[in-house]
Amino acid sequence: MVVNVWAISNYDLAKKSDAVMSGYEDAKAEMVMTLINANGQERQRTMKSMVLEKKGGDKSLMEFLTPADVKGTKFLSYEHADKDDDQWLYLPALKRVKRIASKNKSGSFMGSEFSYEDLTAFNIDKYNYSGDAEEVTVDGKKMYKSVRVPKSKNSGYTKQVAWVAPDTYLTMKVDYYDRKKELLKTATFSDYKKISGIWRIGKIEMVNHQNDKKTILVWKNETIKNGLTDKDFSKRVLKR
Amino acid sequence: MRPLLGLALLSSLLYSGEFEYKGYVGADTQAYLSKPDGKHPGNLTLQQQLELKYSEGDFEAALNLYAQEDSYDLYRDKAVHNDRSFIRLDELYGKYYFENDMLFGGRNIRFWGALEVNNIVDTFNTKDFRTDALDPQKQGAWNVAYTHYFENSELSVIVKLYEEKQEMAAYPYVYYFFPKQIPVAGVGLTDATYDANRESEESLYRPTVYLSYSGSTESDYPIDYALVLQHGFDSQRAFSTVVDPLARTTIFKERLYLANKVSTYNTMVVGSTLLKLEGLITDVIDDNVTSVRKRVADYYQFGLGVEHTLTGLIGDADLGLLAEYYYYDTFDHSDAIADDLALFQIFQNDLFLGFRYTFNDVADSSILAGAIVDWQYHEQSYTFKYETRFFDVLSVKADYAYINPSKTDPTAYALMGFNANDPLADPSPHQRVGLNLSYHF
Repeated sequence: MVVNVWAISNYDLAKKSDAVMSGYEDAKAEMVMTLINANGQERQRTMKSMVLEKKGGDKSLMEFLTPADVKGTKFLSYEHADKDDDQWLYLPALKRVKRIASKNKSGSFMGSEFSYEDLTAFNIDKYNYSGDAEEVTVDGKKMYKSVRVPKSKNSGYTKQVAWVAPDTYLTMKVDYYDRKKELLKTATFSDYKKISGIWRIGKIEMVNHQNDKKTILVWKNETIKNGLTDKDFSKRVLKR
Repeated sequence: MRPLLGLALLSSLLYSGEFEYKGYVGADTQAYLSKPDGKHPGNLTLQQQLELKYSEGDFEAALNLYAQEDSYDLYRDKAVHNDRSFIRLDELYGKYYFENDMLFGGRNIRFWGALEVNNIVDTFNTKDFRTDALDPQKQGAWNVAYTHYFENSELSVIVKLYEEKQEMAAYPYVYYFFPKQIPVAGVGLTDATYDANRESEESLYRPTVYLSYSGSTESDYPIDYALVLQHGFDSQRAFSTVVDPLARTTIFKERLYLANKVSTYNTMVVGSTLLKLEGLITDVIDDNVTSVRKRVADYYQFGLGVEHTLTGLIGDADLGLLAEYYYYDTFDHSDAIADDLALFQIFQNDLFLGFRYTFNDVADSSILAGAIVDWQYHEQSYTFKYETRFFDVLSVKADYAYINPSKTDPTAYALMGFNANDPLADPSPHQRVGLNLSYHF
């Protein structure tokens, strides 16, 4: 195995990381989210998700399967790099499609340690970069340590520090710093697998250092390049 | 208990099937801290809802049943029964999706609206006041529909095939709006009752046609918009009274009439703020004045709303600030016109101010609280609702409500607080605490 030890800018590294995860066109998966509180008590949430890869920002649809009282609730989001996302929530008990004001993305997703911002696909245009990535050794393995700063003033973070594998350019860990510039959370990425030649993430473990809570998110039965189109992400699908 | 037992049996059978299902069984209880003499001091109601869905390719079918049993209806003494026990078919339909079109046939519930507290334009389904009159459920309506989908919008033609009853619980249920007795000139005091059978010069099977166009813009300030044209029975109901001098009874009946209506509901996103508008204009076609009743006039209604969300105030919590204003008026104010009070309109010139505090915790806990001030009839109502979940399957809702009814006009809340033992006294204020526990499956 040849390890790339040449110096690389933070921006170029982000581009390479983005490139190895791109090209899936669309994805369908089941998601299992395990919420673990400071006392170790666990709660599980399950969802079905669909994502459409788009140049200007992905489209995604998520349907909640558990807890039972929110079963059938759907969340539709159109990401935009240059303006606020478009978001709608379908509330099955009321048969209502409700528009969501999406300016703030730092809120907790379903009471988990993930924010809406954490769950959107990585997009290099959403961050500022400067300087070169640092070469570090973690548990005997060489890694790139890279710093990026969110452009949006509505981001919940002032800085993100990512550890990237130099051979695959896959992100292995990210530290998130809050608005007070203190370490808030650490995400550990694992169970990467190649589906139709594209790297896909299998598991993220998010640890909140300020409240000692943890959330584990696992993707199951993921398929890509399913032939999904914009029509599969129009508002009409919310009521189906 | 028959309605609940039947639904429970059906639920247990479906555990062995391959249908997609969901629902709940629950207990709903209220204690009324202030109420008129003679009305029940509280209620305990068992509830069950069951929803089944079947999908095969582009075909989808659904069944949605609701049942409840009020403890007073189990008493031997029929005088305390409040007629709040029933099983109701809310949805039974089939849908077929084509490439850009959809055909629908059956019974269902639709939602039209943008506001949070009172949806003026949500007129498709009739309400069922036997559940909780402060938050009434909607009942399904039989209809057929065709929808064509465009890129960012959709056009639907909907034909409602039957006009449903507007069910109401009986006295001595606290939310029975009619007085127990009414004085009638030349007869004296008569026993007053509500009869849900509708009075209409047209067949109840006369179709009501809706043409609906809705969509979203992709601008810097995106808008969700909708326009609905309607011809047929109006959702507003007039009331007729039938007096039987020999039996000394007065029976209230709903009277249906035909109308043309234009409705719109819209939401605009400006940063963290949602701006909302609902409005309608109704042209009443055939309600004629007679010697014993007043005519329903053409009318208009609108509602304006603002919802601004503040995030991260305390930990992960969000605070949504809500302000909504509602207005109702007729185009004709002559003496021959049935006014808003006679039509049981609740929101004539009302302002709602409130907030929704979302904890964003693992139990999806939230608080919704607010006050409604009726500037026209000087009424105030205050509500506080807390919702949370235990063990992922048990939802808990607690609420408090206080209504100070009009002392000058016979509004619905003033009639509800009418004290038969002291007819000259001001109507009783209404105050309640409620608790709902539901097991979801």
